[in-house]
Amino acid sequence: MKSLRFIVSRMLQSVPVLFGVSIVTFLLMIATPGDPIRLLVGVRASEETIALIRDRYGLDDPILSQYFTYLGNLLQGDLGASLRFKVPVSDLVGQFYPVTLFLVVYSIILILPPVVVLSVWSAKRPNGLADQVIRVLGVMGLAIPVFWMALLLARFFGVTLGWFPVSGFGDTFIEHLHHLFLPALSTAIWVIPILTRNLRSALLDEMNRDYVLAGMSKGLGEAQVFRTHVFPNSVLPTLNLFAVIVAYLLGGSVIVETVYAVPGMGKLMVDSILARDYFVVQGATLVFALTTIVVMLAVDLISGLIDPRINT
Amino acid sequence: MNPLLSVRNLTVRFGETTAVDDVSFDLPRGGALGIVGESGSGKSVTCRALMKLLPSVAKIDGAITFDGDDILGASEAKLNTLRGKRIAMIFQSPASHLDPLMRIGDQVAETLRKHTDLKGRAIQDEVLRLLDVVRIPDVQRCARAYPHELSGGMKQRAMIAGALACKPDLLLADEPTTALDATVQKSVLDLLAELRRTQGLSMIFVSHDLGAVARVCDDVLVMRKSKLVETGKIRDVIENPQHEYTQMLIASHPDRLRLHKPQDVARAAPLFEVKGVQIRYGGGSILDSLMGREGGFVAVKGASFSVQRGEALGIVGESGSGKTTLARSLVGLVKTAKGEILYEGSPAEPTGRNRAAYLRDVQLVYQHPYEALSPRICIRDAIGEPLRRHKLCSPKDIPAKVADLMQQVDLAPELGDRLPAQLSGGQCQRVAIARALAMDPRVLIADEVTSALDVTLQAQVMDLLIRLQKERGLTMIFISHDLAVIRRLCNSVIVMRQGEIVEAGPTADVFDSPTQDYTRTLIDAIPRLDAAPA
Repeated sequence: MKSLRFIVSRMLQSVPVLFGVSIVTFLLMIATPGDPIRLLVGVRASEETIALIRDRYGLDDPILSQYFTYLGNLLQGDLGASLRFKVPVSDLVGQFYPVTLFLVVYSIILILPPVVVLSVWSAKRPNGLADQVIRVLGVMGLAIPVFWMALLLARFFGVTLGWFPVSGFGDTFIEHLHHLFLPALSTAIWVIPILTRNLRSALLDEMNRDYVLAGMSKGLGEAQVFRTHVFPNSVLPTLNLFAVIVAYLLGGSVIVETVYAVPGMGKLMVDSILARDYFVVQGATLVFALTTIVVMLAVDLISGLIDPRINT
Repeated sequence: MNPLLSVRNLTVRFGETTAVDDVSFDLPRGGALGIVGESGSGKSVTCRALMKLLPSVAKIDGAITFDGDDILGASEAKLNTLRGKRIAMIFQSPASHLDPLMRIGDQVAETLRKHTDLKGRAIQDEVLRLLDVVRIPDVQRCARAYPHELSGGMKQRAMIAGALACKPDLLLADEPTTALDATVQKSVLDLLAELRRTQGLSMIFVSHDLGAVARVCDDVLVMRKSKLVETGKIRDVIENPQHEYTQMLIASHPDRLRLHKPQDVARAAPLFEVKGVQIRYGGGSILDSLMGREGGFVAVKGASFSVQRGEALGIVGESGSGKTTLARSLVGLVKTAKGEILYEGSPAEPTGRNRAAYLRDVQLVYQHPYEALSPRICIRDAIGEPLRRHKLCSPKDIPAKVADLMQQVDLAPELGDRLPAQLSGGQCQRVAIARALAMDPRVLIADEVTSALDVTLQAQVMDLLIRLQKERGLTMIFISHDLAVIRRLCNSVIVMRQGEIVEAGPTADVFDSPTQDYTRTLIDAIPRLDAAPA
């Protein structure tokens, strides 16, 4: 009952955020230089045609009423149509979004196990040899820009060794895994050090807590105290950072998807910006924002599950 | 008969510092031994060494034999069959020694799962039985609760339940009541004494309070600066202490301090008048205003009292009774919801525009001296800060003024360059008092200033406050859950319970003939040196 109320209240809290997102994406259109109608009808159309179309599209209405029309369309799932492909933006999103989602989930799967293993390993003997090596490797992973790492990996594993394809998405699930391995790996290489450092310091903090001593006094042994007490308590701060990073990965997909020519949202976004396909940019921004909100909400709920002090 | 536990020449070193120096003692089966000393005397380290629960940097010498087993030479695996099963331990602050993410029932069950063959349902039943043994009401709810949902006393009981789970032979209690209120402390001490009788438990009880030890133990060790200075039957030690440190320890006990006669107060217009003050936390949300209710939690319900010039007023009550909140409202740290505060007959607005002038007259000293001082500012600057900030004297006079203030609170001048972490708790509390005095206040509000201190330091800080009051004609409001302290310092006292003032009057009247049962419970809870063991 209490957790249900917590979930509902968190969901209600995202409603104003959603409004904010809709306003920002709407203003994005209004504020963009250039006339969308010109793009639609071409440079040689007469003034009358333009006036006619402006009127048909409601572009002469007051801004507020335009906004409410936009909001009404959004609520019905209508994101407008692409100027370039002449198909509804929602269709494009439906086509490109799963690819990005696949890439992000794939990256997360590559990220989490090493983070847990490496941070536990470092925290076992702080400033020991393993800790030092992991720290140096981490700094290197952080210091190399993603696009550069992506290029190096593509060049070496894709071209020289020929183990992995360097572009595309493939058709079957196995092919997806094969195609997206390098993009996911390049993302993982800079995310792993961030989370490892965070989790390592949380583990070290928690290992000095009083309840660890209490657990030892019960004869549980170090391994069990670590597993049942230290680890769950350390996960919380890392989980929140993880949420921010996942949200960032969605936006960051622009870089890896461009380097590896993966047909995902990032690539769609870049191509649409270059082609001045405004409605697609607007739709993609909205989808990114929505996903971020969902990720944050999910992490809040998971934190609430782990930590009983949160959902009161 | 062989003793249950035998300690020979125990020495523990952390690098250069020796934490325990050549300590030897025996504990017979069924016996209870108290270890008394001030903080840093090595009593907790001794206690932990008995389970070999010290960090790996500790260098331990000597011999500890528990029921024929050598503890210090034992392997970790062997130790883990003893810890929790035959030797159990309870700690000072139950809040931090319980895992915040785990239900109480599961934490009690941990030991059972580890050391017994009980499974599933049987474990649940045993946990409920154990919680019942330690007198927790509504065991079902408590077993499902998380630590933050229980009060301090309940948490300590739950921890004791966990320690008793495998029927240990020896219970190590490391300051188990220090973090608790007097009334809760008494109930936990009674529980320990009862468990000793009913479960045949042997016990080592570490505390800085001889009164608490006297309630539970037969024998006592007195430690000072890592050395054992005196041992003996507790009665003998209290009545006839041999070592001068023990004599000082006993003389500092609130029970033995001579009663200070508070200076008489002229009956005139009161300096402070508090009328019907109500304070609430939270509330006022959209939902609350829609429902037409006030919402939130009422911490203080309509408190009224007055303080005469030069008077010392005590506010007592259990934790959560609203006494600290009330004090904070007087200096504007908390906003009052209703009621008014009159200072010298005119309304004081501690949060209003003229608060700077008002707060110069009314200063608050906080409970935890380390937390009230910035860890990175040396104490000379900390004391000088209000002088600089409020331009109370010209910049070139500040060093002299600070030196004068330090002298007033008995701080040696060479301590001025130290950081708070390099001082003892008592010294830090003096710094905090000096900083409050820098404003040259007329009213000093002391919020549990002695609670975090050892008895010897408590006595010194109390003497300091009495002297300052006399010298400066200060008006004092003294908040404490320790009635012995209040009795010693205050002309009059008000007793608070759940946000309400339940009793008020001159200290002697309230203490000698309390009209409320609640007040009587508080008074009975004072640990006494001469009380018979419970």
